Amino acid sequence: MRYFEATLAENEVLAPHTFVLHLDGCAALAPMRPGQFIMLRGEWGRDPMLPRAFSVLGVADGRCEVLVKTHGRGTALLEAARPGQRFSLLGPLGTSFPAPSADSRQWLVAGGVGLAPLLFHAERAAAAGFASSVRLFYGGRSAVDLVLLERMARAGIAVDLATDDGSRGMHGRVPSAVERALDADRGATPPTLLVCGPEPMLIATARLARARALPAFLSLEGEMGCGIGVCLGCAVACATRPFRYTCKEGPVMALDELRGPYAPSAPAGDAA
Amino acid sequence: MSVDLRTQVGTLSLTSPILTASGTFGYAREFEGLTDLSRLGGIATKGISPRPRFGNPSPRICETASGMLNSIGLENVGVEGFANEKLPFLAKLGTRIVVNFFGETFDEYVDCAAGLTAAARRHGGGIDALEMNISCPNIKKGGVEFGTDPKVAGDLVRACRAATDLPLWVKLTPNVADLVTLARAVVEAGADCLSIINTITAMGVNARTRRPRLATTFGGLSGPAIKPVALRMVHQVARAGLGVPICGIGGIASGEDVAEFLVAGATCVQVGTMNFVDPDAANRVRDELEAFCMEEGLARAADLVGTLRPC
Repeated sequence: MRYFEATLAENEVLAPHTFVLHLDGCAALAPMRPGQFIMLRGEWGRDPMLPRAFSVLGVADGRCEVLVKTHGRGTALLEAARPGQRFSLLGPLGTSFPAPSADSRQWLVAGGVGLAPLLFHAERAAAAGFASSVRLFYGGRSAVDLVLLERMARAGIAVDLATDDGSRGMHGRVPSAVERALDADRGATPPTLLVCGPEPMLIATARLARARALPAFLSLEGEMGCGIGVCLGCAVACATRPFRYTCKEGPVMALDELRGPYAPSAPAGDAA
Repeated sequence: MSVDLRTQVGTLSLTSPILTASGTFGYAREFEGLTDLSRLGGIATKGISPRPRFGNPSPRICETASGMLNSIGLENVGVEGFANEKLPFLAKLGTRIVVNFFGETFDEYVDCAAGLTAAARRHGGGIDALEMNISCPNIKKGGVEFGTDPKVAGDLVRACRAATDLPLWVKLTPNVADLVTLARAVVEAGADCLSIINTITAMGVNARTRRPRLATTFGGLSGPAIKPVALRMVHQVARAGLGVPICGIGGIASGEDVAEFLVAGATCVQVGTMNFVDPDAANRVRDELEAFCMEEGLARAADLVGTLRPC
């Protein structure tokens, strides 16, 4: 883990308010594994003040790609960032998804910019010769929100798409697409679900995994102040002890370890 | 010209007046490789209670304008966990270790002070001072009641004073109408240094969801937003001339911020929330203080202490 400065090489717009920051000077992130994250902060004074956690879309040759969708003041500042702008980075941080192998079956369940670490994982799997071990489910509100589809095709990654409005892929939410695929699945071993996306989608996928007794790993986003286990802000309720920390013991956690909204006994939430 | 940053806090000599604040620096090992721990003037550890504690439900933190709210709930490893797992590392750093502590009852405070003192003795040192947290606003039974009543605070400090031979710092709450009366009671009870201030009780509201932004509704505000309040309180107590040094805390983000606290009457300071923003913050601030002194033609940073002039 290193704390260092990076420079924005390119701010690539993929869809309205969805963009990829291409950051140079990130050689320290070479050991990064898919699912791990960075703390990122621009030089914009003390408001916003804290760095924010971002998963990573890719790391190669000293360059790091961060997929962002604008939803607040900090991300609006990132959207407006121009090449040459400096950022402070801390990383690689946290846990990663379980590595694929020749005989593993991993179904990657991605919603919105939750795509980033899962596409990173799928590309690494494909590069290691395990493309057939992973299957990607990817959903968004509308066709325009689905990004990086050509990149998936180039890497030879099988993708099932879903949109809320039915403008591309299955009409519905990603967990429904996964459920439908499970019904049709004739595989000898059940797939392991690797999940990253908005909270309602995580909860819905966690319920599905519990109902079908599937192993699952969720990438969680706690409220992090520091990213290194110091502020203790990102506590999530756990099965074996009261809390775990998203920054050190996550962001990727096994579903078995979690309780709270992900547990079957939890009261019904705003599931997708 | 070089600047002498050495500072004397009572009987304790520091290589610089800049420490890290409790609750923002863990047990220091978390920052290994991110900042040069040996260059810090000192480290105030996470607050220790007699037994390990788990904290509050989430959400525990939220950002505010140039600051943040927290309601962590004083989660920590307890005296034994601290002595066995944390102290050996801290003791080797070559910087001053100030162990912050608290209890939920009067007796727990005394037990904790005695337990930490015994742990230091067993270890052959490693703890340079204790910092008593009588001010955390997050625990109903412990924090605010002890820290807001001068009589109760004085009795508690006197009892802890008798339980340890280590220098005893007392961290005061800003959530009182008259800090000077509280500070005087604590000094008369035997405090060796006053840490001023802890977080300011505050809250955040999400108007869209109609929910508080913290699970406990109320929490503590920290960061640059509270610096003017901290400066005011440090100066009020300094002006009262109670005869003990003050460690200034509250939103310090630069070397010039440190200079402001020293001028207002603090002998040393703690960098807190900015450790989250920049893990190298405390050492950056140290370098900036050195540069500030050079620009001002000062040979010693300590020459800034208590030099506030009339407007």
